[in-house]
Amino acid sequence: MATPGTIISGIGHVGLIGWLIVGWGMTSEPLVIQTMDVSVISGEEFEQMRARTTPEPGNADPTAPVPPVVDDTSPPPPAVEEPADIAPPPAPVEPPESEAPPPPPPPAPPETDVTDAPPAEPAPPVATPPTPDVAVSETPTPPQAPTVASTITAPPPPDANVDDVVREDVVPDNSAETEVVAEEQEATAPEETTTAIVIEDLAPSTSVRPAARPSRPTPPADTQVAQDEPAQDEAAPAEPQATEDDVSAALEAALGAATQAPAVAAGPPMTGSERDSFRIAVNRCWNVDPGSVAARVTVEVGFSLDREGRVQGNEVRLISSDGDQSATNTAFEAARRAILRCQSGGYQLPADKYDQWQDVVITFDPSGMRLR
Amino acid sequence: MMKRFLTLLVALMLAGPVLAQGGPLRLTITDGVIEPITFAVPSFEAESPAAQQAASDISRLVVQDLAGTGLFREVPATAFISQVSSFVQPVAFADWRAINAQALVVGAVNVSGDRLTVKFRLYDVFSGQELGQGLQFAGTTAGWRRMGHKVADAVYSRITGEGGYFDSRVVFVSESGPKDNRQKRLAIMDFDGANVQFLTDSSSIVLAPRFSPNGDRVLYTSFESGFPRINVLNVANVGRQQLQTAPGEMAFSPRFSRDGRQVIYSLSNGGNTDIYRTDLATGQHIRLTSAPSIETAPSLSPDGSQIVFESDRSGNQQLYIMSANGGEARRISFGEGRYGTPVWSPRGDLVAFTKQNAGRFHIGVMRIDGSEERLLTSSFLDEGPTWSPNGRVIMFSRETQGAGGTSSMYSVDISGRNLKAVPLQGGASDPSWGPLQP
Repeated sequence: MATPGTIISGIGHVGLIGWLIVGWGMTSEPLVIQTMDVSVISGEEFEQMRARTTPEPGNADPTAPVPPVVDDTSPPPPAVEEPADIAPPPAPVEPPESEAPPPPPPPAPPETDVTDAPPAEPAPPVATPPTPDVAVSETPTPPQAPTVASTITAPPPPDANVDDVVREDVVPDNSAETEVVAEEQEATAPEETTTAIVIEDLAPSTSVRPAARPSRPTPPADTQVAQDEPAQDEAAPAEPQATEDDVSAALEAALGAATQAPAVAAGPPMTGSERDSFRIAVNRCWNVDPGSVAARVTVEVGFSLDREGRVQGNEVRLISSDGDQSATNTAFEAARRAILRCQSGGYQLPADKYDQWQDVVITFDPSGMRLR
Repeated sequence: MMKRFLTLLVALMLAGPVLAQGGPLRLTITDGVIEPITFAVPSFEAESPAAQQAASDISRLVVQDLAGTGLFREVPATAFISQVSSFVQPVAFADWRAINAQALVVGAVNVSGDRLTVKFRLYDVFSGQELGQGLQFAGTTAGWRRMGHKVADAVYSRITGEGGYFDSRVVFVSESGPKDNRQKRLAIMDFDGANVQFLTDSSSIVLAPRFSPNGDRVLYTSFESGFPRINVLNVANVGRQQLQTAPGEMAFSPRFSRDGRQVIYSLSNGGNTDIYRTDLATGQHIRLTSAPSIETAPSLSPDGSQIVFESDRSGNQQLYIMSANGGEARRISFGEGRYGTPVWSPRGDLVAFTKQNAGRFHIGVMRIDGSEERLLTSSFLDEGPTWSPNGRVIMFSRETQGAGGTSSMYSVDISGRNLKAVPLQGGASDPSWGPLQP
């Protein structure tokens, strides 16, 4: 027989199951399916790949990217700007020989980082972590993926070979006088593992340092100011004061120009249609004789307008020309006639933009109207 | 460092719009209009009662000359708001602006006995300024037309910036009678067809007269002896001199050198025609071409260094240019048809020619490298172009079709506009435009 407790329990379970089925109050979003390309490789290829991707102790190749880190190790210190007279980074150190298949050749270092210093001798198998000073290849290789395991294993010591068993480094003690002689063996450590794959950005963690600043040319020695200048540059405390002076000067110049500007031009600029209207008003009076020598001359003339759009004093001045004197005079007269004849009661120009059209320069170019 | 950079950036942002708005409004105009310049010529003031007719005639001649170019249009006197009663009276520019007269010519004429003086001033109406300074010419009352042409030349030159051509003369072949028995005489006239005077009678055929550079002599081809011979005619006294050639040789198509001391011409001997140059003082002649083809119609460049001529050495009549001393020639005409009678422009930049193509004749111009060929006319027969002294107008002869066809002379602007006939009584052909008279 069903007891009340059983009934209550049954109702509760049924309700829970129904609520889960209906999903009331829950938002349903499509599952995100991540896909990865998988290729089948042979066992030999896998071993070769492991040998290549496993960090090689003592591989001081500075062009190799920093291996992905899983723990919270502190990031490398920021790059310190190197003095200009310091030589570029040293050449990559040749890795020690290993039983493992040789690693792929490192990418060639940038030519700009080539130093005149002789290449360093092959370093002993001592782990040399990349320092901020070493250059990084501009074409980094993809970061190697860590080995995934059920537990996190710390990175092996840099001078240890990878092995399944952890062994201490034993070296022959020549100073000891005991007869107990431990068998010489290399230190081993398990391969570095992690519990998750960290997708690492392919971008290099550090960038190539810019080229060193060219040396400042030697100032002439006959001026006192020039002699004092290098000293000021070298004096670091003087820099903030100089910057403030520059700021003040620049702001003053800018604000000064801004306050003087309304005398030159103010108000909204002329629109394209307003300029075209003005241009058409003049060119309908510009009479060109295509058979004349003056038709081969381009003249630039200037004049000032009053607020009614009339040429002040009927004065039109020649600014420039590309012809001889006679042809220039004729071309200028034609331009002047055009400007004065078509002004009639004044050119129709926007009064609120007078500062924009108070002074006018027009180039009369008849090249398109010559006889051909 | 960064702070300084940001500061300068802010400063530039503040100053940038200000700097961008500074300076004058700049425009470029490339399209104008092609229309005559309007001008007004109130009747010149007669400063003496005897000058009334001359003042009226001269002012009308100035209008005719200027309007006849096609570059000017007269504002008729009926449109005048104000009159100019005195040469020294201030000009009311507003009245002339109101009738859209761009140029105003004010003049005065005085006649004292047989002496005539004319003076004028030219004003740019819209600038309210005088163009140049006042000028005065003096002559005889019989030469009033030259006075008028002089005034028109000065006005033309001041407005266009180029020399005029009104006070010049044209020598030509006057023709009369039917086509099969046409009488030809050398004649000379003013550029506008006035003052025609005959230089030869009609007893023999005359062809291709050519003015000397200063207009004192005329070269022409005469068939007086039955063979074509070149004569040099003195315009002042009509005296003649024949260029010496060997018996059996035919000389034709002559032109003076630029200094007037030599003649270049064609000489035909044994079926071959080449170009020669003869010194008029010594009679020494030099052969300039030696091709087995026909080379003729030579014309010197303004600087006298080159000769343009026609030749059929390519199998077709084309234009060539060579050194004035002969030598290798380069072909400059490559269009369809045949090219002939080339004439070098006084400006030196163009060659005028006659072109025959597809049954039509054309007068055209091309640059001296053969480019930019433009045909200015087209008719049944257009030929023999000659340049005005300023290189702006081409005069040529045109013959109409049929047995009753007549020859007449036309002029055309080098732009191809303003084609018009030269008003003459009777037929005329072979014009040669002389220089501006002193």
